[in-house]
Amino acid sequence: MAHSGSLIHFSGHQYLRNRLVLSILSGKHVRVDKIRSEDKNPGLRDFEISLLRLLEKVTNGTIIEISVTGTAILLKPGIILGGPVSHECPLSRSIGYFLEPIIMLAPFAKKPLQLTLRGITTDDHDLSVDLIRTVSLPHVQLFGISDGLELRIKKRGSPPSGGGEIQFLCPVVKQVKTLNFIEPGKIKRIRGIAHAVRVNPQFSNRMIEASRSVLNRYIPDIYLYSDVYKGEESGKSPGYALSLLAESTTSAIHCSEAVSQPGVPPEDIALHATRALLDEIKQGGCVDRKHQTLVLLMMVLGSEDVGRCRMGPPTLRTIQFLRDVKDFFGTSFKIVPAEPSDASSTELVYSCYGSGYDNVSRRLA
Amino acid sequence: MADRPHKAHRPAQSGAKADKKDKGKEKQQGFNEKAFAPKSGRRADRQGRRNIERDQTRLHVPLVNRTPDNEPPPVIVAIVGPPGVGKSTLLKSLVRRYTKQTLNEVKGPVTVVSGKKRRLTFIECNNDLNSMIDIGKIADLVLLMIDGSFGFEMVNSIILPPETFEFLNILQSHGFPKVIGVLTHLDLVKKAATLSSTKKALKKRFWTEIYAGAKLFYLSGVLNGRYPDTEVMNLSRFISVMKFRPLVWRNTHPYLLADRLEDLTPREQIRQSNKKCDRTVTLYGYTRGTHLRPSSSVHVPGVGDLHIKSVTLLSDPCPLPDADSEKRRKLSEKKKLLIHAPMSDVGGVVYDKDAVWVNVPGSFTRGNGDVPQGEGEQMVMDLQDVDATLEDSVAQSHIRLFGSSSNHLMVDPSRNEVLHEDEDLEGDDNEEGSNEESDPDEDEDEDDDGMNDNSEEPQINDRADRSGQDVEYADSDSDLGDDFHDNRIPDEDDEEDDIPSDEGSDSGDEDEEDAPRWKLNLASQAHDSFQLHSRKNRQKDWMKLIYSSSLTPSQILQDEKAANHEDDEADDDDDDFFKLQKGSILDDEHIDMTKDILTTDDLKAWGDEEMLDSIRGLFITGSHDAAEGEATAADDEHEDLEGGDFEDLEADTTNAEAEPSRPSLNGNPESSGASALAAKKEALKRKFDEQYDDPDSSKLDFYETQKDEISRQLQLNRAEFEGVDAESRALVEGYRPGSYVRIELADVPCEMIEHFDPTYPIIVGGLLPAEERFGYIQVRIKRHRWYTKTLKTNDPLIFSLGWRRFQSVPIYSLDDHSIRMRMLKYTPEHMHCYATFYGPVAAPNTGFCAFNSLAGESPGFRVSATGVVLDIDRSTKIVKKLKLIGVPYKIFKNTAFIKDMFTSALEVAKFEGANIRTVSGIRGQVKKALPKPDGSYRATFEDKVLMSDIIFLRAWYSIQPRKFYNPVTSLLLSDKSHWARMRLTGQVRRDEGLKTPLNVNSTYKSVDRPARRFNTLKVPKKLQATLPYASKPKLMKPQRRQTYMQKRAVLLEPEEKKAIALLQQIRALRKDQVVRRKEKQNERKEVHRKKAEKEEAKKTEKEKEKRKDYMRVAGQKSKREADLEEGRGGKRRRT
Repeated sequence: MAHSGSLIHFSGHQYLRNRLVLSILSGKHVRVDKIRSEDKNPGLRDFEISLLRLLEKVTNGTIIEISVTGTAILLKPGIILGGPVSHECPLSRSIGYFLEPIIMLAPFAKKPLQLTLRGITTDDHDLSVDLIRTVSLPHVQLFGISDGLELRIKKRGSPPSGGGEIQFLCPVVKQVKTLNFIEPGKIKRIRGIAHAVRVNPQFSNRMIEASRSVLNRYIPDIYLYSDVYKGEESGKSPGYALSLLAESTTSAIHCSEAVSQPGVPPEDIALHATRALLDEIKQGGCVDRKHQTLVLLMMVLGSEDVGRCRMGPPTLRTIQFLRDVKDFFGTSFKIVPAEPSDASSTELVYSCYGSGYDNVSRRLA
Repeated sequence: MADRPHKAHRPAQSGAKADKKDKGKEKQQGFNEKAFAPKSGRRADRQGRRNIERDQTRLHVPLVNRTPDNEPPPVIVAIVGPPGVGKSTLLKSLVRRYTKQTLNEVKGPVTVVSGKKRRLTFIECNNDLNSMIDIGKIADLVLLMIDGSFGFEMVNSIILPPETFEFLNILQSHGFPKVIGVLTHLDLVKKAATLSSTKKALKKRFWTEIYAGAKLFYLSGVLNGRYPDTEVMNLSRFISVMKFRPLVWRNTHPYLLADRLEDLTPREQIRQSNKKCDRTVTLYGYTRGTHLRPSSSVHVPGVGDLHIKSVTLLSDPCPLPDADSEKRRKLSEKKKLLIHAPMSDVGGVVYDKDAVWVNVPGSFTRGNGDVPQGEGEQMVMDLQDVDATLEDSVAQSHIRLFGSSSNHLMVDPSRNEVLHEDEDLEGDDNEEGSNEESDPDEDEDEDDDGMNDNSEEPQINDRADRSGQDVEYADSDSDLGDDFHDNRIPDEDDEEDDIPSDEGSDSGDEDEEDAPRWKLNLASQAHDSFQLHSRKNRQKDWMKLIYSSSLTPSQILQDEKAANHEDDEADDDDDDFFKLQKGSILDDEHIDMTKDILTTDDLKAWGDEEMLDSIRGLFITGSHDAAEGEATAADDEHEDLEGGDFEDLEADTTNAEAEPSRPSLNGNPESSGASALAAKKEALKRKFDEQYDDPDSSKLDFYETQKDEISRQLQLNRAEFEGVDAESRALVEGYRPGSYVRIELADVPCEMIEHFDPTYPIIVGGLLPAEERFGYIQVRIKRHRWYTKTLKTNDPLIFSLGWRRFQSVPIYSLDDHSIRMRMLKYTPEHMHCYATFYGPVAAPNTGFCAFNSLAGESPGFRVSATGVVLDIDRSTKIVKKLKLIGVPYKIFKNTAFIKDMFTSALEVAKFEGANIRTVSGIRGQVKKALPKPDGSYRATFEDKVLMSDIIFLRAWYSIQPRKFYNPVTSLLLSDKSHWARMRLTGQVRRDEGLKTPLNVNSTYKSVDRPARRFNTLKVPKKLQATLPYASKPKLMKPQRRQTYMQKRAVLLEPEEKKAIALLQQIRALRKDQVVRRKEKQNERKEVHRKKAEKEEAKKTEKEKEKRKDYMRVAGQKSKREADLEEGRGGKRRRT
């Protein structure tokens, strides 16, 4: 029909997730080509195909066409369906890779989503399920999506063999609230989860000790939980990790994480995570660097009002994301320094006019 | 005595009477509390309850009103009514009232200024249903005109024309705007009593339709082609105080009522394609509803979905009175004359399809120099003197931008002509804008690097001023900006590395043909402000880098992380870059991941104690001063630079909690910190006081908090972009409602231009992202009770949903016990049902109305159904019942073999385990296919079935609505009211002369049920003998002999005989009496009947005469109407 104007064209395999999410939300067709066309091993990877399959399960009426060589895809999005879905994630990427786009889509589904994902729960590349539970979900809650929003970690699974399982429950909303978050506040508490599976449970305590040695100087309100999974729930491979989050007086959250590496003592892992957290805190702003795109997307999807948020400088992904948002929704952000008088401050205020996005797939009554 | 004048009354100056009088006056002044005090407790209670209830009726669901308070778009006042009712006359009268101008012919919208804060756009709605639908979707106020003289002889059954009711129903389903009824032709009613009763009856009818208390106006006869001035003035007063509640659909969509249309297609192209090429069209109008985003799609009802090519903000052709005229109490005469009606001939100027025609009837001619001439007239007269084009004159003239510059201004011949036109239009705006923007920046620049001496400043301003007038504004700005940089940047050499030079970005933009001009301007501005802030630590202009540069994300970030990402070039652009040899090592770096990889080296700095201490201020335990000191360290140097945009921004921020913590920009840090603290303390104290004094007062009820929240957000919306210049503001927030814009649409069907008719409204409705999609829409629908036919599944129906009007094929269904959606063949009577059809998506809860035909000549009520959208999906689950029938051919105890239900074993396999049932209600189950007769199977039942039983299998067959979507393209037709829709099935058959296909099995035949005869049961004698008595057949022969009762004789006693004889006599007498009585009654009845007959005859005679009278009047009326139709041009009602 009259769809010819709504095809958006991209090339390259990068930022694929965000583009797919934006396409499904905006309903615009998207075509991505030159996916690793110059590579020795051209085309889509298994995790990308798995992601496409997951999106197909979550939506109704989505048409995905993949070229013979796998270097080009065409996505004609349907509506987001929700409901009970379960998906087996490949071992090349962790669950976070699949869950991040789903978090962006799930509030706009027809029915509340109950998603079960199986695979690796924590790895180096994507947000671990701990961070998603403790940091990403509070960020989503800023937009009024809170009742029934839950992530249950049933089993943990470390790379390479995985074996973890999580359950993600998300309610549906009609429209997200407009965000006005420009007060970063001061850090009032630090929380952390140290988990160790199929290794000596003492490892998590050692990580906590090391982390506390740095953090204790700042505030007394530090709780680092040692989370040990045993038996069936601990997955198939050994591993441990420390995830930290700092919450401010205005409930701005910063987080960091470090995952076990072979040959590195747990103390060093903990130190890495701690220093990354301090680095993150130093960046300032009300939103964690890893969650910039999530917050910006929700701001764009708000009602036709001005939303404002204070953040650090945009990351690579964020910059591309802002450009993609403009292609899909026509929304541009006003980005000005948060404190124009202070030259050393790198914090920025992002403000935009919400696109008045309504969850049209939600059933009336 | 009689001629003596009466003594004048002298009121008492003193005494009781005088006191009394004064007292009374005193009382009247104020509110007398005692007078309204309740006398009893019960009464007080009742009064209190009533007050509370009244307060509750005041409350509505808090809705955000997106129309700005300052400079709102003109209110659309639609004048609707059947032909000949006086719409044009009313419009002309109203326009005359506001502008003191008489319009000869009204076409399209007419915008006038009605007050200090309000403008009105009048539009007359013609009698076409398509126009009525479109008008109903955009009108803020409807003047519904009713002919008061029509049918005034039958006061008790007032007949309003069906169009009026159709229009009201359309309004109802698309959000009800305000409606004022206007009764006309009341002068034709001669008798005062009839007049008042007509008014009364019409008012009653009107109130039942709209709401009790709806405003109804009465207009009497026409004087000088207008309605009486006093009556029009009263109406205009009501219009000017009208308040409007936001309607949901209009509050979520941008839209525009086009008051001007121009075709920009090159003439040559049109000529070559024989006028059949797609056109590029511009539409002009005030944006309404929400902000119009330049990149959005729009729907033009009657044309189709179109894509906006560009949007340009134009200067307001009909501006509200500004500040200086505001000081005066009354509107000045000059302002009153403001009227904007490009499609009508106002002031001798007609905006045609593609040109502007200036009529010269004599007012602009030379000679009458004694008449004082206005500025506009003078300009037009000067235009007549011009013999060279503007381009020539500019080329010839030697304008120098600076007093000192040696080269004079050259005109670039390659300039786009279209842009030039616009520049002329918005010259004033640009001038102001550029002044505001450039001045502070330039001041800062000077202070900044101290290179430019002060003497240059006025010249710069001069340049800015002129650039707005003569040269194309955006280009010139950036060009000159370049010059400046070239002149004075040499010492800041690193600049060129960070930011691509403006040359580069400009050329990049020009590559894409349609690069918006704001980009150029933005770039230069961004560059200016960038320089302001690139001092020690360069603060980037992120907006420019992200949105208007072609740098890859990694390049943007590169200078920050120069060391880290040296080889991290983005792979998007360098396709020719051969990198196969890097292989999978490279791949790791390009993985799409959320976490940044921080190496231990990056974090090594955190091993340092000093570094660790530096962020202490960010924790609650950290000292306050440390953070403050750090934050405001650089303040001193920047103090003198503050100003311009950023100051505005900060000052306007109204977020209360944000204020205290942010260091004040102008004061020094210590004092600002102290004042912030003081302010905070003050606020806390006030809060405490409030709570301590009255704990309940601080708690607002839900309604108040919601309203507060809404107003706070609206204030933020206004404040956030206040200081930003118009171009980048349009980028971020789109075009605000109330701004006059020009929308350029590409690929418009040529018929829209060819068959353009200004009396049909052109609406540009903005679409939300979701509304461009297609899908199955499930709606709750109800056939309109006045629509005479029933609606049939799979018959096409015309929907008016959202902005769109389209034809689709619905399937009606009902929810069957919440298990399934069961298809209905026809819509039920007096009941809602569901309908599912294929079409463009609209959000749930959007109302719609449906029509079978939009043509004017279709008889009866045309609104066939109304309803609301429930659900959007890409698939449907509607089923209809399918009964499979079979018969047993072999019966065992509870098992039977069934045949004739299926045709193959495969089919049976599909239905294994399905429930089956006999007609008599014995339930069973399909077991397994049998090999021998194809499709037969074994089934078990709960009881033994009979050979005569029929076996049913009840199944559900799912059906899909047809994917049919046919937009009503009424504006593309030469005859706009005759849009050819897809015909209904019956109509096709009728037109083609086809018979309705008839399934032989579906015909009803008389059922022949022969009475079953049962043979008598014969039990052999031998067997009978051996049976026990209870089981023996009890057969008895009839009795032969008479019984005693039959054969006995009865003899009467003498007294008995006598009594009987007496009774007989009495009965006989009685009978005779009754007969006589009846005879008499019949006689009386006969007389009465004759009398009644006579009366009846008289009555019918009278009735006949009455009807004759009425028909004669109606005939005269229709004849009058027909006359009016004929003389359309000079249609003016003579009384």
